Amino acid sequence: MKIRTIVTNGIVAALYIAVTAVIQPIAFSNIQFRIPEMFNHLVIFNKKYFFGVVIGVFFANLFFSNMLPYDLIFGVFHSIVSLAITLLVTKWMKNIWMKLIANTIIFSFMMFIIAYELKLALGFPFWESWLFTAVGEFVVMAAGAPLMYVIDKRIQFKNKL
Amino acid sequence: MMEKMIFGRYIPVNSLLHKLDPRSKLCAILIFIFIIFIANNAITYGILAIFTFLALYSSNIPIKFLFNGLKFIFYLIVFTFLLHILFTREGDVLVDFGWLKIYERGLTQGIFISLRFLFLILITSLLTLTTTPIEITDGMESLMKPLRKIHFPVHELALMMSIALRFIPTLMDETDKIMKAQMARGVDFSHGSLKRRAQAIVPLLIPLFISSFKRAEELAVAMEARGYRGGEGRTKYRQLNWRTMDTIVILIVLSLGGILFIFRT
Repeated sequence: MKIRTIVTNGIVAALYIAVTAVIQPIAFSNIQFRIPEMFNHLVIFNKKYFFGVVIGVFFANLFFSNMLPYDLIFGVFHSIVSLAITLLVTKWMKNIWMKLIANTIIFSFMMFIIAYELKLALGFPFWESWLFTAVGEFVVMAAGAPLMYVIDKRIQFKNKL
Repeated sequence: MMEKMIFGRYIPVNSLLHKLDPRSKLCAILIFIFIIFIANNAITYGILAIFTFLALYSSNIPIKFLFNGLKFIFYLIVFTFLLHILFTREGDVLVDFGWLKIYERGLTQGIFISLRFLFLILITSLLTLTTTPIEITDGMESLMKPLRKIHFPVHELALMMSIALRFIPTLMDETDKIMKAQMARGVDFSHGSLKRRAQAIVPLLIPLFISSFKRAEELAVAMEARGYRGGEGRTKYRQLNWRTMDTIVILIVLSLGGILFIFRT
């Protein structure tokens, strides 16, 4: 692995935490979903961002999660599996918007992992939990898609690794 | 907030748990996450309560720090408890108000699930309270070493985690600075519709990404210029040291699993 890839992924993970810790409480304090989840779209621009996003999720759960053990295991697992499926599914897609939409749907659908976490941890009903968590994830990812697209136009994520 | 983040949730006091190898703490907690599900009656939950109390006591963590971040958990536990009491309709009716019936199974399930959740949160909190994030990273790197055989980039992953930990406070300062600069120019992050607020963070994220990638570029060039070669043959500044006490801790947790298994119904 190139040093540049390692370093950039480390910085992306740090950025994930910084956005969680600084922007979320000020701009979206009344919203329960995690805003940096939109960083999941980074893999659409370059698959090598995979590690940065997963490490970001790991540390965000380690530092901020109220359900530490469950979120560390299920939250990170959800990110890994969803990112892997996105990379697999979008391999043959050409249009960037189609990829962003597919990523949003995959992440929302895969929230059944988190719904299972809630069932296991707190005995919450699975189907209702899946619906609520999937809607939350969908809102963040859908709102994040055009944002990341606009930022990519300025930054060119693909060339940064 | 910045200082809290630099150290994560780590509380630097002198205790038995602080001195343990991060690998033994990670393994013990992983085992605990599984064995806690063995408990299914009052006796086994009582044993878990005693174990949790002893573990907390041996950490020397002041109670106020321990329960500082548990306010949300408390609400969650109360909500869970009420959910089970109100919606589980199995077993004998214990209380009958006509419009509200409390069933035996609802009550016991509510108590057991709430206790299990509380014990698990308290025990796993000990990991972050007694271990620095960099120690956790070192421990994970060491535990994942066998994955090298299947060409998993263990060292690279650990390096990414170390770089992330090093740059979290820096990027938080940077984010704070850019946010204040944009607010001085009239950007309002905290009011307006969701769409308006989402639009407001674009002029925040663009300079943030640009400066972050610039830092990454500079660091990568600096490392390459110094001939950095990670992985094989590289010595480490922080050495992990597995002692007898670490083995004893693992054996204690495994024994707890055995005891729970004996007393479960």
